[in-house]
Amino acid sequence: MSTIRIENVTKIFNGEVVLDNLSLNIPSGKFFALLGPSGSGKTTLLRLIGGFEKVDKGKIYLGDQDITDLPINQRNINTVFQNYALFPHLNVFDNIAYSLSLKKVPKDIIEDKVLKALKAVNLEAFVYRTIDQLSGGQQQRVALLRAIVDEPDVLLLDEPLAALDFKLRERVLIELIELQEKLKTTFIYVTHDQFEALTVSDQMAIMNHNGEIEQIGTPKEIYEFPVSSFVAQFVGTTNILHGALLKDQDSYYIDVHGLGKFEIQVPEHKKWMVSESGTKIDTRAMSIRPEKIFITKNVTAGFSNVVEGIVQTIVYHGRSTQYNVRLKNDITLQVFEQNEEHFPQEVIDYDNTVYLYWQKDNVVLLER
Amino acid sequence: MKFKELIKKEKPFFGVSLSFVWQGLFFYLPLIFIILLSVIQLSTIPGYYKIGLANFLYFFNLSYINIILKSFGLALINCVLCFIVGFPIAYFLAFKAGRFRNLFLFLLILPFWTNFLLHVYAWFYVLEKAGFLSNLLLFFGFIKEPIGFLNSYWTILLVMMYCYLPFMVLPIYSVLERLNKNVLEASADLGASSLQTWFRITLPLSLSGLKSGFFLVFVPSFGEFAIPGLIGGDKYVFVGTVITQFILSNGSMNLGAAFTLISSIALIGLIIAMYLVGYKYIKNFGKIDD
Repeated sequence: MSTIRIENVTKIFNGEVVLDNLSLNIPSGKFFALLGPSGSGKTTLLRLIGGFEKVDKGKIYLGDQDITDLPINQRNINTVFQNYALFPHLNVFDNIAYSLSLKKVPKDIIEDKVLKALKAVNLEAFVYRTIDQLSGGQQQRVALLRAIVDEPDVLLLDEPLAALDFKLRERVLIELIELQEKLKTTFIYVTHDQFEALTVSDQMAIMNHNGEIEQIGTPKEIYEFPVSSFVAQFVGTTNILHGALLKDQDSYYIDVHGLGKFEIQVPEHKKWMVSESGTKIDTRAMSIRPEKIFITKNVTAGFSNVVEGIVQTIVYHGRSTQYNVRLKNDITLQVFEQNEEHFPQEVIDYDNTVYLYWQKDNVVLLER
Repeated sequence: MKFKELIKKEKPFFGVSLSFVWQGLFFYLPLIFIILLSVIQLSTIPGYYKIGLANFLYFFNLSYINIILKSFGLALINCVLCFIVGFPIAYFLAFKAGRFRNLFLFLLILPFWTNFLLHVYAWFYVLEKAGFLSNLLLFFGFIKEPIGFLNSYWTILLVMMYCYLPFMVLPIYSVLERLNKNVLEASADLGASSLQTWFRITLPLSLSGLKSGFFLVFVPSFGEFAIPGLIGGDKYVFVGTVITQFILSNGSMNLGAAFTLISSIALIGLIIAMYLVGYKYIKNFGKIDD
């Protein structure tokens, strides 16, 4: 079992608390992403797991083993560094063979393993190249092979794709997913890029600016059901409307100041957020993803909510078009519309008055 | 007008050629003088001289070869000592000193703002009979009677190591400082102990600094005459001492010139030999052992 269990870990750098009493379970054999803005302590957390930094308080377990005070070189955890950190004086073969040669593995077995690994990523022609003769993508692969060749329990990846261009990044992401499925090693992937985290992970944790974990879940849970406005805004794009949450018979509404009431679904565990009748608390927030809003100039039936507005800007993205629509209380909502046809029947232009429709089940009531 | 333009256009060339002129005047010209002097044999009759290699042959006996080898040994041991003491200092400066790094660098270089002879004389007070070191040992009861540490081979080495240490520390420091720290972390991460990381990663990657440090210490150490003369007295004779004696004391400048050339050629030969031997071993650092 190569679960990573972090219990009440505190880390202080120069008097500044980076991680405060953080606990987290990372499941064994899964692709786990740690997503957060820069300065959220996600890299610090990774470096604590790898053993590069000492914890100030708390415990870290690998499976049942307490690895809190275990030196780096005795942890069966390897790392792919952001800048790859390949050994510049060694060639590709010796870089990959490094961990095996330290373990005094027989030379023919090392050769066999390294060549097999290189063949799997089509780099066998580069065995004896020096590191500076490789492109960024090739270096990235060598760094990855170097880290997995001695079969660690856990692989840590610290923004490994940050230096690659977009097309290559997409390809390497898919390679990483396939590799993880093959190896069944626990992968912990640190990134500030929500696209990478959503693409790659089985489970992800979102960290906020204070080094706290906001939410843990599958990419779908995180994207569709964010618990806080931080998560809703950091993962993907969203519209947040504030208002009082009211109950009217069996239905629930958010009463937005100057806009009116919008119907919303309130699951059982969020019932506590409903205001007492008569008192209006304007602090509840709801998140509506731009792609879940239907934009039209015509009155349409079959939606639970509607609001009227004027088109402010239109941004063409290729596969979708983004409309920024100003509502009558001066709030602007973003709407994405798929560009499904070359010649759409309804053309929406600047300054048109439009109706925005959405279903009550596509709105998320945010707890924080 | 045209001349002015030319000067303006070729400014870098004139800048560089100034250093050629300098080098020609103060290095190549004296070298030619030494070569000329070395082949001139004075005879007992004033005004008559011969040209030949007899000056060189004069030194082809065991005692002089011995002196060259002893100088070689001294320089080599000095290099090794400077490396053993200097590498940790350079490592500390590059990785551990943090915001005090510049202060420590300043302290390292500070003694060199005073005259070199002052350093050596300062060591006199430490090492002489009933000097600082002797008193210290007396105080702690390690010795019963005051002793002197001067006039010994190891004292010469100690003072030489002290004087040449920064020439080893600074080049290694400048290489280590530019080293990607993640590379050392990666080595530990892949299972290497600190010793393995040092041998397989840190040392090979600081090799260029080590090489320049080695030459900066080895070459002047080989010809050093002031420190052995002052600290060791007349008991210890090295290449520098012999050259000084021939050129200054005896007035037999031609023999001195010949010995200068012999020792220089020996030095070059020894360095090439060391390079060939060392290179073969060092280039395989970090590779898989057979």
